[in-house]
Amino acid sequence: MKGIEFKNVKKAYGDTTIIENLNLKIHEGERLILLGPSGCGKSTMLRMIAGFEKITDGDLYMNANMVNEVPSGKRNVAMVFQNYALYPHMTAEENITYGLRRNKVNKQEIKRRLDSVVETLLLEPYLKRKPKDLSGGQRQRVALARAVVKESNFFLLDEPLSNLDAQLRVSARKELMNIHHTFKQTMVYVTHDQIEAMTFGERIALMNKGELQMLDTPENVYNRPVNIFTAKFIGSPPTNIMDMVYDNGKAIIGNQSFTFDTKWVKHIEASNATDFVFGIRPEHLQISKSPLENALKGKVKYVENQGDQYAVFIDMANSEVIAMSNSKDWNTDEVIFVQPMADHIHIFDKATTNSIGYPGV
Amino acid sequence: MRTNSFLGILWHTIFILTVFILIFPIIFALGTSFKPLQEVYNNVLNIIPIAPTFDNYIGLFERLPMIQITMNTFTIATVVTIMKMLISFLAAYAFVYFDFKGKKFIYFIFIASIFIPFTVTMIPNYLIMSSWGLADSIFGVILPQISDAIGILLINQTMRSIPFSLIESARIDNISHSRIMIDIILPLIRPQLMSTGIWFFVNSWNEFVWPSLMLKSVDSYTLPLALQMFISAEGGTDLSVAMAVSIVTMIIPLLLYLVFQKYIIGTFTASGIK
Repeated sequence: MKGIEFKNVKKAYGDTTIIENLNLKIHEGERLILLGPSGCGKSTMLRMIAGFEKITDGDLYMNANMVNEVPSGKRNVAMVFQNYALYPHMTAEENITYGLRRNKVNKQEIKRRLDSVVETLLLEPYLKRKPKDLSGGQRQRVALARAVVKESNFFLLDEPLSNLDAQLRVSARKELMNIHHTFKQTMVYVTHDQIEAMTFGERIALMNKGELQMLDTPENVYNRPVNIFTAKFIGSPPTNIMDMVYDNGKAIIGNQSFTFDTKWVKHIEASNATDFVFGIRPEHLQISKSPLENALKGKVKYVENQGDQYAVFIDMANSEVIAMSNSKDWNTDEVIFVQPMADHIHIFDKATTNSIGYPGV
Repeated sequence: MRTNSFLGILWHTIFILTVFILIFPIIFALGTSFKPLQEVYNNVLNIIPIAPTFDNYIGLFERLPMIQITMNTFTIATVVTIMKMLISFLAAYAFVYFDFKGKKFIYFIFIASIFIPFTVTMIPNYLIMSSWGLADSIFGVILPQISDAIGILLINQTMRSIPFSLIESARIDNISHSRIMIDIILPLIRPQLMSTGIWFFVNSWNEFVWPSLMLKSVDSYTLPLALQMFISAEGGTDLSVAMAVSIVTMIIPLLLYLVFQKYIIGTFTASGIK
């Protein structure tokens, strides 16, 4: 296959294994996000694609060729580094064209590529400046331009926006989208920021402790997390997770109960699991001071302003549950009613932490 | 304000005194080198000669092949400096940017060699050079000195401060290591290289014991050996000529300092800010 494929890849430094056994196919021309907490192995994966890290075991394919022993420079890969890695003694223009000049690309071609990228990224006024005279956002664009002029099949980005402020991130994401639209490279983008992952990715590979947790579209990663880790990692505030006991169509949570609809009852009874975990996102909990049907009771702990909404922290069945609300009018220690939306429930097998799936899917 | 101006005056007095103490010997040497011999002893503290004369310099150039001696010193110092820099640079690059078996151990051995006193290696080096027929040759002086672990240590430290990603970024663009050294590393560590180089040069320029062991004939002498001819027991003490040799010895290092001073001072202030 074209694109990139990890086949039973293992990466270890001495006795420390970072990645045990990774299988992952990255399609040609897609924007794949490698997402995960720090230390999950996502950067290591990117560095293996770039050829900076040797593969301990297994095979890595790029464009259907095994590249285990192919040096970085021969992989036709462009990369944007987290710290941009601009050469401090060269001007922006020299930085952008350095690789092309040294690889003996002819002058007209260099000029054509430079002009095109300068126009796309609006770099004209900064070409003669050195990195120290550029702002963070400008440096980021120069680094991006340097990668773009290579016109490589593979475009690697290592947390490229993490040093930018929130506003610049939005515009930088737009520029990245434009670049991908123009050049259709296979983009592999490492981030720990789920907003970036959701907005930029066509597919997300969620990693944890060197293992691939889930590989799917942002919609599915959000709506149908395959395990507890995915459910908690994606979304802010994180998904509420509560131990539950299934008893005759009901979820017993603490000393309260929630009645499942028939679809869920069938689905839960069909599963092999014996112990369950109940998951629900804060935005899928309805809260009210007056009684709600099929609701649990909880005590308000405190309210956090999230800008557009308020996160209400609730003490319920010995665990802390977060619910989103448009009102901030919740008093501490007030007992309120918490109703999970039946269509947005996630049920996990406690033993494996995997989702038991969804009814009717 | 009063205390401030008092402190200012105090500090300036201290600075001026320090500068005077540092500069006085040079002025003294310069003055003495233009004095006739009697005046050296009769008129010691008067820096300005009463009857200035060029005789000391003329006599010096008549008695010794001073041009040849200066060239010898310059050749030794230049070749030693260039070789030390080159080897230190390449070795430091390997230590910083490559992973190889036994790297830490080899580095440890290299650095440990800094602590071996010169007197330990002096005789073996002399014997080896003699057996190679390099006794009384400036190449015999040069050869054992062409590498120096201090250079590796200093350049290694500076290279480490360059982000690794710069090298990775070049590697991914298919740039060779030699090109990376020339295009990226060299410009970034140039100030440190300059100051290390000047330090090596001046050390070699002033070196006495090793050349005195190796060099027998006056034609292959270096400037410090020429100086010792006028202030040693065998040569008798002719202070005014000795001062003339000192002044000649000083010229080239001083010129070097004037040319490279912005790098030298730059290095010191840069390391001060960090």
